[in-house]
This record gives sequence, C-alpha cells and structure tokens, in this order.
Amino acid sequence: MSLLQVENVAKSFFQRGNELKIFSDVSFTVEPGELLLISGRSGTGKSTLLNLLGGLERVSAGRIVFNDRVITDLSMSELAELRANGIGMIFQNFNLIPGWSALENVEAVLMHRGISQSERLQRATAILTELGLGDRLHNLPAELSVGQQQRVAIARTLVNDPAMILADEPTGDVDPETADEILHLLLPRIKSGRTAMIVASHGLFNPALATRTASLKDGKLHL
Amino acid sequence: MTRDIIALAGRELKQHKRRTFAVISGYALTVAFLIILAAVLLYSRVVQNITIGEAGTYFVTWLPACGDISSLSEEELAKLARGIIPEVCKEKCENCTGCNKKPVDILNEGFVINTNGTRLLTLDLVEKIRALPLIKDASACLMFRFRDPQTNTIFAVGGIDVQSPAVSTNCCAASDLIDGNFLTGSSTGRVLVDIGFAGNHGLKCGSNLVIASETFVVSGIINSGARPVKPDVIMLFADAERVINRRIQNPLENEANLILIESRDATVHGRALEDVKALMKGDSLLTTGCYFPAAKAIGLNTRLIWAFMTLVAVAAMLFSARIQWASVIERRRSFAILKAIGWNNRVIILQQLAETLAQSVAGSLAGLVAGLAVLLLVPVNNLLGIDATMTGVLNPGLFAVVVAFAVTAGVLAGLLPVLMVIRQRPADALRRV
Ligand SMILES: Nc1ncnc2c1ncn2[C@@H]1O[C@H](COP(=O)(O)OP(=O)(O)OP(=O)(O)O)[C@@H](O)[C@H]1O
Ligand SMILES: [Mg+2]
Repeated sequence: MSLLQVENVAKSFFQRGNELKIFSDVSFTVEPGELLLISGRSGTGKSTLLNLLGGLERVSAGRIVFNDRVITDLSMSELAELRANGIGMIFQNFNLIPGWSALENVEAVLMHRGISQSERLQRATAILTELGLGDRLHNLPAELSVGQQQRVAIARTLVNDPAMILADEPTGDVDPETADEILHLLLPRIKSGRTAMIVASHGLFNPALATRTASLKDGKLHL
Repeated sequence: MTRDIIALAGRELKQHKRRTFAVISGYALTVAFLIILAAVLLYSRVVQNITIGEAGTYFVTWLPACGDISSLSEEELAKLARGIIPEVCKEKCENCTGCNKKPVDILNEGFVINTNGTRLLTLDLVEKIRALPLIKDASACLMFRFRDPQTNTIFAVGGIDVQSPAVSTNCCAASDLIDGNFLTGSSTGRVLVDIGFAGNHGLKCGSNLVIASETFVVSGIINSGARPVKPDVIMLFADAERVINRRIQNPLENEANLILIESRDATVHGRALEDVKALMKGDSLLTTGCYFPAAKAIGLNTRLIWAFMTLVAVAAMLFSARIQWASVIERRRSFAILKAIGWNNRVIILQQLAETLAQSVAGSLAGLVAGLAVLLLVPVNNLLGIDATMTGVLNPGLFAVVVAFAVTAGVLAGLLPVLMVIRQRPADALRRV
C-alpha cells in the first residue's frame, strides 16, 4: 500500500451557476521518502490540488486514500484531526497568525492535544532554532523578513513530524541561496524515509531535488 | 485541554491590551449607563408613588343636611326640635339618626363639614367601612359649628381619635404643630387651635377657651394645610361629644357626623371610594384629596416602566453585540488558520467562548460597580429635595438582568463570526477572510 493514493480526482468550482473545471482524472501515488514536484503555470490548480490532499477542500469526483484512510469520505473534524497528526501544510502565503510571535505560531500546532506547555515550547524552540530563527522566537510575523516568515511556516509544519508534507511554493519568495538552505533542512527528513513531500511550484523549485515530477496542464496531470 | 484554553485566552487578552481594554470599557460603559438610567427611572416612579400616595389615599364620607332648614315653617321647626320629622325630610332618613338631636340654635349652630351642614351617622357604620378589604382605616369624627354668645363669633369644633391614621391624613397630624403639644389619648380638657383662628382671637398655648360654658386649655397651635376636614378647634372625641350635647335637643348616642377614611394604597383608591359609596347608599358624599386620574396614572406608569426595561435589555444586547462583533471579525482569519493547522471546531469555539466570556463578565461587573458608585455617591434625592433614598431602588434583580443580557449578547455576537468561519470549508475561509 502506498502512503498516498489519488484516484481519478476531479475538481470544479461553481461560480454564479457556471461550472469552472480546474482539472479531472488526476491519479498518482506517493511513497514514503519521495519528493514529488508538481509544476504548472499560474492558475492551473496546483494550490487547489494540495488543498484537496490536505482536506481543506472537497473533491468533485474521485478518491484520495492516505495511510489506508479514505480521506475523501472523512468528516471536517476528522480531517482537522488528520492535519493535526499526519499531514502538514506549508501555505503559499504562509498563513501565520499575525498577532502571535514565531514561537506561538509554531506552538499552536501542539496545543489542545494533551502536550504540556513546557514540552510544547521546548519542541517549538528546537525546530525554530534548527531553521535558524533561534534569535527571532518572540518576533511577530510582521517583524520578520518574507524568507523568515516562510521558515516559521515550515517550522510549524515540521514540529509535528507529519508523515506527509504539502508545500505550496516553499521557496517561492527567497533568493536561490536561502531556498537551498531551506531545502537542505527538509530533504534529510525525506531521505530518511520518515516523510513524503509534495511540492507545488511554477518553476523556481529545482527539479533535480525531486524524486519525481509531474505537471498540471490543460486540466490534466502529466506524470 | 481546559487549562490550555484558559491559559491561551489569558495570553490573548494580555497581548492585545488595547483591544481588551477597549472591549472591556465598552461593556463597562454600556452596563453602567443602563443601570443608572434604569435606577433613575425606577426612582422617579417611587417618588411619583409617594406623591400620589400622599395625595390620594384618604377621603371623608358624610351625609349632607336634610335640606334648607330656613325653608321649613316655624311650626315644622318646632316639631323637629321635638323629634317629629317633617314629611319633606323623610326620604333622606337612611343611615341618619339625628332627627331628635337638632341644635338648640338651629339657625346658627349644627353639624358640619367645614361650611356644609351634615346629618348624623351611627358608629357601627364606621366598623363596617373599616372592615372593607380595600380600606386601611376608618375613624369617627364630630364636627360642630358653635356660636359664642358673648362675641357672636361662629367657629367649628372637631372631635377626633388622635391615634387613628385616617385622622392624620384627613384632619391633622403632629407634624402640623407650630407651637405647643399635640393631643394624646389623655388630653381631656385640652384643645388644638388652627393658626388662623388663634390669630383672630389672640390665643396662645396655655390660653383658656370657653366653649358652651366649658373651659378648655390651648395645648398647641397647628397649621393643617389643605386637608378635607379643617375645624378651628380640635379636641378629643369624648370632649366634643360632651360640649356638643350641651347644644342639642337630645344627647348623642354612639353617633358622629363624619367618617375619616384611608384606603389601602393609591392603586386601589378609586375602587375603595366606590366600595364606601355603595355601603353608604343614599345621598352620601365623599370629600377626597385627589382625582381618579392621578391614581390611574400609576397603572399607565407601570406599563411604561416595562416598555422601558425591555428597551434597556435590547440596548444592552445591541451595544454588547456591537462591541464584541468588531473585535471578533478582526480575528476570523486567525480562526481559519487554526482550523487549517488542525484545531477542531470544538476547541475553536471554546477558545472564543473563554475570551468573550472573560471580557463581557469583567466589563459588565466593572460597569455595575461604576454605576452603583454613581448612584450612591450622587445625592439625587437631596438634589430633588425628595424624602426617599435611592437605595430603595437599587434592585439586584434589575442589575442581574442588565448584566445577564450584556454577557449573553456579547457571547452570542462573539460566537457568530466564529461559527461562520467554522461552517465554511477551511480553503474558503482562508481565501475569503
Ligand atoms: N473557491 C474558488 N472558487 C472559484 N474559483 C476558484 C476557487 N479557488 C480557486 N479557484 C480558481 O481555480 C484556479 C486554480 O487556482 P489555484 O490557486 O489552484 O492556482 P495555482 O496553480 O496554485 O496558481 P499559482 O501558481 O498562481 O499559485 C484559478 O483559476 C482560481 O481562480
Ligand atoms: Mg498556488
């Protein structure tokens, strides 16, 4: 059994009664230790596909199985549970909570799960330090550079040790050097087989780092 | 988990001090304002009740004299003096026992209420009136007009039961005293004199006053203001009975000519008047210190209070909802993000509940304290010169209602945006907010 199976997934949006087809018949699998790069031009539906995989959005057709669970059948609260435990998402626009410090943003993922506050803070501090933000723990997102904000978003995902990371343009807004640094933080976890990662990018991500690539074009996923 | 929620709520409120302060002071101002408004309104009602109550719960009942005595022929007058009732009078005899007790000087003297002639009533009627459910007190009173043979002056003497509450509202009370002492149950031979009469006749406390050849000592001078029964001279009922007996054909036997009455309260005053009228039958008259409309105005006033209280509750809800709504709308995006990183709906709702509850309770209590402080420190009653303290209207139930409405509305208004975020799919919530 693969870690992730995507079977004939289609997604359409309905706007004022008109069906807007984004893609259809998308099928692929991902194994632990894999890094799948999904490329495609802006507006082809890369973010939409990641949202479907993370359970933030419902499919129009098809089936998604993660860790032997049919996530397309799960309720919204079961999906939330899944995001809390198995699937980590790095958003294109980071989605950090503006009023919370870097540390608090990362700590939030571990909250309400019976983990003591001291352990939460210790784990959040460790991961942020690992990502080079040891001296930025108490800064608000607005007080950080875009690249630093991105690293906070990555830390927020990694602190949880998810089995699958869905990363939307994880290196989109940083210089190539920093992008390399960030990837070198992510790659060891993947190579060790602990984690699989799906990256969506419209071109800035170095394809050589991926174990597999696919591209979204004209409503289809080309493997 | 509960501890996490409370801790996080505390952190949120502390971190956004300005927002928290604004929200809490919003609640405080709203609650304080509404409490002061409600209390002042209630207070004005209490004051109104006192005013109307004082003016409107007492009255006197009596039977007007049989007719114009001067229209009777000499022969009829002579017969009347012997207790023989002329035909023209007979229809008015119900409740009256006075036909054989006509004054000796029938043209100058007689039973009166102030300037109007009256018939006599038996004292058992007083008992019957006192037994009516809407009546608080009824008291027999004699009022007789005398002529002083020496000076030819005419004056009215009242005989009262000094202990009766109906006397103090209808005739005179110790508070009317200008000089000297009020009468007590054992003030036999002593009288109170109206200030006007005392002035005209040079009477002071301790002066002697001769009435029907009996000498009385002036105990006090009074100014009884606008009361229904205003004799020039007031004495104990038994004294009055004795001096009046000297001036009528046959002695009084358990009789009086006025009944002073106090109804239970202003709200039933109108019905009490009707009850007494029904019991008296015939051509009895009521002299009262107030109009019906004044008593009825209280009922209208009560309905107004309820309308106002509803308004206060609605205002509390709207203000609180407005305050909380503004601060939570700002946080909708945060809730969508928390949902995207795996927080479940229950936790998000509880988190919001904890924060809004803390703010609304803290704010409302602060408002309650501030409102009470204003009400207790500002001497409204002194300013208005009214003898009723504000403390009487500081009604815990009212305050509880205001606080409860403010808190409930705040919590609801705080939860509504959160519920909206939660109902959406996270992707939509993130995109839209
Ligand atoms: N809720 C929605 N309702 C209607 N249309 C939507 C909705 N969400 C996304 N779309 C549309 O779906 C298409 C795909 O959007 P998506 O964000 O997935 O593109 P993308 O490939 O990630 O682009 P980019 O590289 O610019 O991030 C776009 O045309 C967008 O307008
Ligand atoms: Mg995108």
